[in-house]
Amino acid sequence: MSLSKLKFITLLFIVVPFIGFSQNCTLTLTGHISDVGTGEPIPYANIFVSETKKGTVSDSSGHFKLTNLCTGDYHITLSHIGCESKKVFVKIEEKDIDLNLKLTHSVHDLDNVALSSSSKSKTTQKVEIINERFISDNAGKNLADITSSIVGVSTIKTGNSIGKPIINGLFGNRISILNNGIPQSGQQWGIDHSPEIDPLVANKISVIKGTAGLEYLGAPLGGVILVEPEKIEKEPHLHGKTNYFFESNGLSNGINLQLQQYPSNIGWKANATFRRSGDLSTPDYTLINTGVQEINLALQLEKEFSKKLKTDFYFSTFNTTLAILRASQIGNALNLKEITERGIPFITGSSSFNIDAPKQKVNHHLAKFHSKYSIDFSQWVTIDFAGQLNQRKEFDRRRGGRSNRPALSLDQYTIYIGGKYFKRFSSGFNLKSGIQYNFIDNENQAGTGVLPLIPDYTSHQIGLFTTLTKSYKKSVFEFGARYDNINQHVATITRDLPIRVERFDNSFHNISTSVGWNFAINPHLSISYNLGYATRNPAINELYSSGLHQGVAALEFGDPNLKNEKAIKTTLGITGDIKEKFSFEAHGYFQKFDDYIFLNPRGQIQRIARGAFLVFNYEQTNAQIAGLDLSTAYQFTASLQIKATASLIDAKNITDNNTLIYTPTNTFTGSVTYEYPKAIPFIGSKKLENLKLTVKNEYVSESTTEDEEYIYFENNIKKSFFIAPPKAYNLLSLQSSTDIQLNKTRLRITGNITNILNTTYTNYLDRQRYFVVAQGINATLGMSLKF
Amino acid sequence: MKTKSIVFAFLALGISFTSCSDDDPVIENQEEVITNVNFTLTATGADPVTFTWVDADGEGPGAPVVVGGTLKANTTYTANLELLNVQNEETDNVTTEIKEEDEDHQLFYTTNISGLSVAYTDEDEDGNPLGLATTITTGDAAKGSITILLRHEPNKGAEGVAEGNIANAGGANELDATFDIDVVE
Repeated sequence: MSLSKLKFITLLFIVVPFIGFSQNCTLTLTGHISDVGTGEPIPYANIFVSETKKGTVSDSSGHFKLTNLCTGDYHITLSHIGCESKKVFVKIEEKDIDLNLKLTHSVHDLDNVALSSSSKSKTTQKVEIINERFISDNAGKNLADITSSIVGVSTIKTGNSIGKPIINGLFGNRISILNNGIPQSGQQWGIDHSPEIDPLVANKISVIKGTAGLEYLGAPLGGVILVEPEKIEKEPHLHGKTNYFFESNGLSNGINLQLQQYPSNIGWKANATFRRSGDLSTPDYTLINTGVQEINLALQLEKEFSKKLKTDFYFSTFNTTLAILRASQIGNALNLKEITERGIPFITGSSSFNIDAPKQKVNHHLAKFHSKYSIDFSQWVTIDFAGQLNQRKEFDRRRGGRSNRPALSLDQYTIYIGGKYFKRFSSGFNLKSGIQYNFIDNENQAGTGVLPLIPDYTSHQIGLFTTLTKSYKKSVFEFGARYDNINQHVATITRDLPIRVERFDNSFHNISTSVGWNFAINPHLSISYNLGYATRNPAINELYSSGLHQGVAALEFGDPNLKNEKAIKTTLGITGDIKEKFSFEAHGYFQKFDDYIFLNPRGQIQRIARGAFLVFNYEQTNAQIAGLDLSTAYQFTASLQIKATASLIDAKNITDNNTLIYTPTNTFTGSVTYEYPKAIPFIGSKKLENLKLTVKNEYVSESTTEDEEYIYFENNIKKSFFIAPPKAYNLLSLQSSTDIQLNKTRLRITGNITNILNTTYTNYLDRQRYFVVAQGINATLGMSLKF
Repeated sequence: MKTKSIVFAFLALGISFTSCSDDDPVIENQEEVITNVNFTLTATGADPVTFTWVDADGEGPGAPVVVGGTLKANTTYTANLELLNVQNEETDNVTTEIKEEDEDHQLFYTTNISGLSVAYTDEDEDGNPLGLATTITTGDAAKGSITILLRHEPNKGAEGVAEGNIANAGGANELDATFDIDVVE
């Protein structure tokens, strides 16, 4: 159950007032606190009233009582060991009040993220939710790094600032990212592009593993990431939250401010983030030109026209300038060989905040208009309109003062229109059906002096879907189907002479379907099974990309004759606990692909002025991915918990019988968490509440991919060298957090140290590994204030 | 109604995008490509020779056409390197660009011809070698090749770089051209 829903229910419990004296200070507020998951009472929870600066503690049955209250508005903070603290607004008028409050208890947290297991979310798919606290505790991390805290989700990245999420081995065109319900439209061609989303704007990030998410436009083949801001609290007072964070490595600083108010019939919420980071450091040297600057804004407006019609408007702008490691700008494989043999980059020096070429400048703007009309208690309709503008400029180190001119300049416009209809039938069936239209216009901007890697194109996509769910006794059944038609109009520029424009018109059809069953054997054990089939049309880059990809010393060529990729995926999940002491979750999956599209690095060699380059061609093969995500936790006492996770994956190109490139490696984590059972006296009357310490070790195994071969010529004699995947490594980290109740606000302090032992390592999924090793020790301090 | 006007605004926006996208894309003039390399050697008592390297489609699929040649044994040649970008019958002189940013560039010459040596005869603003102008001294008759590498932003101060040793230079490769050469008596 979401937090906003809880608050709404809380408000429902507030009894409507009746007429009385103007100032009555003999009122009593009583309440009962229970666990949101199990419904069991929570004893010894702290209750603090900001206005009176008084508090109390719930008794052994979860009840509490506050007396001698006057009429007025009160803000009550609830906190308890192992729970997320929560603020509740109560308006006390001329009557005593009894509240029924619920807290989210972390017994069910298997990761450091709150999980909503399949049995609770009433879906047969694996849906994992990252909550607001986790996002705020990890302020400064990008979306990919935050989602990678989920078992089975990893990040493919270029250094520390550019990262894309990988869900169960799939990324890029195979997964969809929805920002506030709208398919994120960006130039997600390469690995070296990050999704343009500020996680701090979101209050909730959900990851759906598998072929779920049939109701979302995009690619249901690999999984869905939903980034959602919370609904505006129905609270007449101005409230907000501010986050500040500092990171020692790169001297990164950031601040985030959120404000919200719902005065009468229109609510608003504003969110702003500013972040700046300098050059990062490895244990041995500085990574010259790896800083970041980011300014993001978001505005949310909500209006209730009537009980039936609700409308909201959302606007967000994401603006970033990312430096790309100087040492990674190479000419050809010979350069790469020199760097590999040298072991340390040619360009080192001292750290600075300068952002020089090579760099990326990305602006992403989203405007969304959403309306929900409730026809009656059992049916509703929603309509969405959204427009997006994505502007990407990439700067290389160029001759003749051209470093200030983008070598790539792309503008992408997207218009999305979607409608959904939901009906709950008395027979227990839930029906959801919808239609979506998406228009994309991608335009290269003139003046780069470079032929574009991605051509200009327009695309029209129309999608239809229906999902049906039915609860029957202890089971939930799910069925869904989706159809998409995509029409692309592409204007490519040839590379052979004479250079000319060549046009292509394509039409693709995608069909996806999924069936699932969830069975709650008892409150402590449930299993879920899902079987899905999905097709994905080749993306523009897979069809038509053409040209030099300098960062990888390769020439990349698309194939206009590629066909749809088809995949069948089955998942089996088991979730349960033994007496709430030992809890476990297992998610196994098997996915088989026909015509899997991949970039084959074993093509020919092309010699150009810069030297010899490998030709990478987009090709199709048959592939399969099998994996298991496992997490377990054991709660020794209310204070002490140990956790272990494993993420195992095997992804094969069946035709060639080798491991697919960019497959995540097997990863294991183990952690111990201790939470102080009592508040610790701090300064004056201030106390450190919920003080929590976690020590975590992560073991990342070696990739089973083949060594990569690189070709160069020495005096016209062809030579080659190999780069092996990185060795396995261990990373130790420490996390700590505490809450302090100030006068009217609550301060949360987090302190984390990653790579405590300053280990020198490289990660297989980091493109920067060819040139440098990964970031060394990093200490983070975070402060968040709710007011 | 407000709702309606927003709907229309979006639709209008959509139509305007659709209508403007059928224009032909701009074919960029590829400004940094090197299409022609002319390596001219002159010496007293020997015929002047020009080795050429031509890749008309730049980074396109066509392979470069390389013409090497013959040098006279035991002779000192004055060598000059010219780099051009010829596209759509227009010629950009890359050599001039390199001279303007001479501190950021250096040419390196490697060979497998025994007895053949290359010496820099030009300098950048800081007094470090640039390598557009060189002298090439041949030894006895031999067969082999000379490779010319152009590095953008090398570390000119690194050990051996001023002497023409590329090992510690770093920087990005902008030219890698190899000429087959026959040194004859």
